[in-house]
Amino acid sequence: MFGAKHILPKGNPPLESAYDAVLIGGGLHNLATAWFLAKEHNMNRVAVLEKNYIGYGGAGRNTAIVRANQRTQKNIPLYKEALDLWPVLTRELDFNLMFYNCGNLNLLHSEAAVKAARTNIATAKFLGVESHLLDAAETAKRVPALNLSQKITHPIHGAMYHPPGGIVRHDAVVWGLAKGAAEKGVHIHQQTEALGIATKNGRVTGVKTPAGTIYTPRVLVSAGGYTAGLLYHMLKIKMPISVLTIQAMVTQPLKPLLDHVVSSGAYHVYANQTLKGEIATGAHMDPWPNYTTQTTAGYIKHQAEALVELMPCLAGVKFMRSWAGLADMTPDMAPIMDGNDPVEGVYMNCGWGYFGFKSCSATGRYMARFLATGKCPDRLKPFALARFKNHRLMGETAALVNYTPDN
Amino acid sequence: MSLLIHCPICGRRNGYEFRYGGEDKGAYPAGRSLTPEAWYEYVHANTCSAGVVAEWWCHRHGCGLWFTIFRDTRTNRQVLEHGGRS
Repeated sequence: MFGAKHILPKGNPPLESAYDAVLIGGGLHNLATAWFLAKEHNMNRVAVLEKNYIGYGGAGRNTAIVRANQRTQKNIPLYKEALDLWPVLTRELDFNLMFYNCGNLNLLHSEAAVKAARTNIATAKFLGVESHLLDAAETAKRVPALNLSQKITHPIHGAMYHPPGGIVRHDAVVWGLAKGAAEKGVHIHQQTEALGIATKNGRVTGVKTPAGTIYTPRVLVSAGGYTAGLLYHMLKIKMPISVLTIQAMVTQPLKPLLDHVVSSGAYHVYANQTLKGEIATGAHMDPWPNYTTQTTAGYIKHQAEALVELMPCLAGVKFMRSWAGLADMTPDMAPIMDGNDPVEGVYMNCGWGYFGFKSCSATGRYMARFLATGKCPDRLKPFALARFKNHRLMGETAALVNYTPDN
Repeated sequence: MSLLIHCPICGRRNGYEFRYGGEDKGAYPAGRSLTPEAWYEYVHANTCSAGVVAEWWCHRHGCGLWFTIFRDTRTNRQVLEHGGRS
């Protein structure tokens, strides 16, 4: 196969002394923003600054699931547009992103969960997103490997079935967007850390790097789990964010047995079978902020126990790898996209928690429009930082999850 | 994930016995002059530092005491205020 080093021209492009926009963070949101800035707004004097290498962070650590079955009317359209963009990007980037819309099954293990799913399904249908309620027998017809026994810890009552979702090869998205953006003239600077943001009279003037200051009228900070810390240490902007590690793992490759993304809130597990045959699974977060990306033996045990209860045929299957990434959690489980407040020309795109991958395509497009015009697109207005200062949080979770410090 | 926390009453214990209570924001803000912004700062706003952070913890599965520690979020170790080994 090919790696990222074959996608981009060898070596970094020259670091210019000025750019029309500097994007801090070489992950999917900024690569998508750079692509759309060049493609839809003719702005290609753009630099993407990445401390490590592109795809090092959340972009290459997520479990590649895409879906639009969120809860609030503000969120769902954004995720639906992101879903609709995968085939479009595959064509426009001329790069196989391996979008497999196998559908998502959210398992329901109680009457309360079924009731909550009915609300989500009604909202989805109202907004034109396909979503159905399945009973236990219909659920098992979709995934025969599931255990319908009443004697397990959390018996399956049914599922919320969301056919348009599925999985996308996350590395391919990184490579495709980087290749596309670089071909349009965007400079992707790997191994180049942003050290500070220079401002004058309330306006951004540049970004400090080890190779000197880059002058620019626009800076977008979107560096995944590092964004909130960067905003505080560079601009003294405190964010309503807690950065937790989230763990994931894959089993040895198996013959096809799971052709949906299955998730269970009660077991605190989700699983899907990759195109290589591995069962990719995860969900656990350690409940205190840290930047270690360590994994834990206890969670591998939990994951094995939960998966074997849900799908007994997986007993004895071995895990091959486990890893962790950073999730920047907000109190209302919805992201923060904002700009020109309090510093003119400084934009932010963060707080995605574990929703960053599935939203990157549409968000990149809207953030590009935001940077190019200076005006916040209507779709992004509900996600302004001010909602926390006004104490008008979004209801993205039916109840606060117990693994964030905000509960 | 390995984390040992020194409880002022119980001594050094497994981190999973404790509940993280957020970054140390100081004293509870006075009610009479409290603005929405100040309340936001107190309940939501964080520095999210990759480094030494002052934090509130509670020994939930122990004595129940709330206290402040310093922890390096890059190494997940309790440290002294200036970052030295505790």
